[in-house]
Amino acid sequence: MSRPRQILAMGGGGFSMEAGNALLDEHALSLTGVECPKVCFLPTASGDADHYIVRFYRAFATGRCQPSHVSLFRRDGGAADLAGHLLEQDVVYVGGGSVISLLGTWAAHGIDLMLRAAWETGVVMTGLSAGSLCWFEQGLTAFHGEARPVRGLGLLPCSNAVHYDDEPRRTAYRAAVADGMPAGYGAGNGAALHFVGTDLARVVTSRASARAYRLAPDGLGVSETELACDFLGALPEPALAA
Amino acid sequence: MPPEERRAPTVLAMGGGGFTAGPVDPALDDLVLRLTGLARPRICMLPTAGGDSEHQIRRFYETYGDRLCEPSHVSLFRLGKRPMPLREHLLAQDVIYVGGGSMVNLLAIWRAQGLDVILREAWEAGVVLAGLSAGSMCWFEWGITTSSGAPAPAPGLAFLPGSNSVHHDSEPARRPVYLDAVRDGSLPAGWAVDDGAALIFRGSRLDGVVSARRGRAAYAVTPDGEQPLPARPLDAPDGRRVTVPAIAEMRRLHTARMGVARD
Repeated sequence: MSRPRQILAMGGGGFSMEAGNALLDEHALSLTGVECPKVCFLPTASGDADHYIVRFYRAFATGRCQPSHVSLFRRDGGAADLAGHLLEQDVVYVGGGSVISLLGTWAAHGIDLMLRAAWETGVVMTGLSAGSLCWFEQGLTAFHGEARPVRGLGLLPCSNAVHYDDEPRRTAYRAAVADGMPAGYGAGNGAALHFVGTDLARVVTSRASARAYRLAPDGLGVSETELACDFLGALPEPALAA
Repeated sequence: MPPEERRAPTVLAMGGGGFTAGPVDPALDDLVLRLTGLARPRICMLPTAGGDSEHQIRRFYETYGDRLCEPSHVSLFRLGKRPMPLREHLLAQDVIYVGGGSMVNLLAIWRAQGLDVILREAWEAGVVLAGLSAGSMCWFEWGITTSSGAPAPAPGLAFLPGSNSVHHDSEPARRPVYLDAVRDGSLPAGWAVDDGAALIFRGSRLDGVVSARRGRAAYAVTPDGEQPLPARPLDAPDGRRVTVPAIAEMRRLHTARMGVARD
């Protein structure tokens, strides 16, 4: 029970979007404090696309970690005791795709409750895009055409927008928060929000240029504040001191 | 379609087979189009239950790409890359063809995206609803799904009354679960359907049974057990019905190896 509750919510990035840049994925593994962590991939939001599962196993090779995946479209071949399997992980990694299909499918299999229980016992929850939006009270999805709010699992009592560099998401998220969506965070591609408990502890990035923002309603509409980001890559060599 | 030409609400509920299993039941694939009574029907595939699997989508276009029809598909998982007005597109179809896969996921995703409402509207407007396996059971009050591994009852959309189980010949693990559930009253009476056979519903009434494979049938399932229903044989395009021992054998092996098989 000593493990803290942690979520690393990526605005975009990791093996799904950043081939050759493992900084965010490595960071997710490092949050476990375990040398060879158990990582379970949930590709539900993609419809359990085969190519996505293959890419996961390439990125999370045995040796560095203990990878597995749960396919909700092919339950006959996978772990029979889903709840037990998820609870014994160090990381649950949720892939991108349709957040609406993701949440609907999870609820039908009771995964929503299993993930909450796993999070509460200290399994690190991570994911990008739909796999980020799902952890929040509300998220802004633009996957299905026009941007619209979607109710997430509510582990984090705030809201989220992903791929925040891209219009129309930015404008739509500002409007949604001004219109009553809970205050929250917009994360761009390459930026990840690290929550400990339900508080934002740090923003980390896989690119020096990636950004994340805090959005909150104010008297006039909405205020947007750029957050301090820690780039995880090698910093430029400091000038040699004498 | 003008109101006077409206078809009665029609469902073609196939036990399995059809194009997703390979080019084994061309007569069933033809029947899907014939039910519209149109020379060049618009047919849209919904591969939701299979997670929009590329394989199913490819097979669909291989099958209907060279028949007289206008094929399209809707990938709910790929709407991000391929946005389309769902209701408008689906209501403009003559046939909506639902592929197999996970019945539980299918219904959860449809409901989350409002397709349950759109499909009822389409059905009532006379768009033929065709499907196999999960795509058959979804129209009934209940089906027998293997979405969680072992066969178990799952509620459907209830456009059609009663219950439905599929792959009755090729996935024997479903049979006792289905018959027992109907016998003890936990499921309403209904129909079990073999691969290659299909039920045709007009409105909510069973209007006929067809079979594209010799010896494959549909059964009325009641608390008293199962009774085979007379089936009209569908002729393959070359005038002879096909038998598919190799595929049946493959399925049996799969079933034996996995314990159960998918919807």
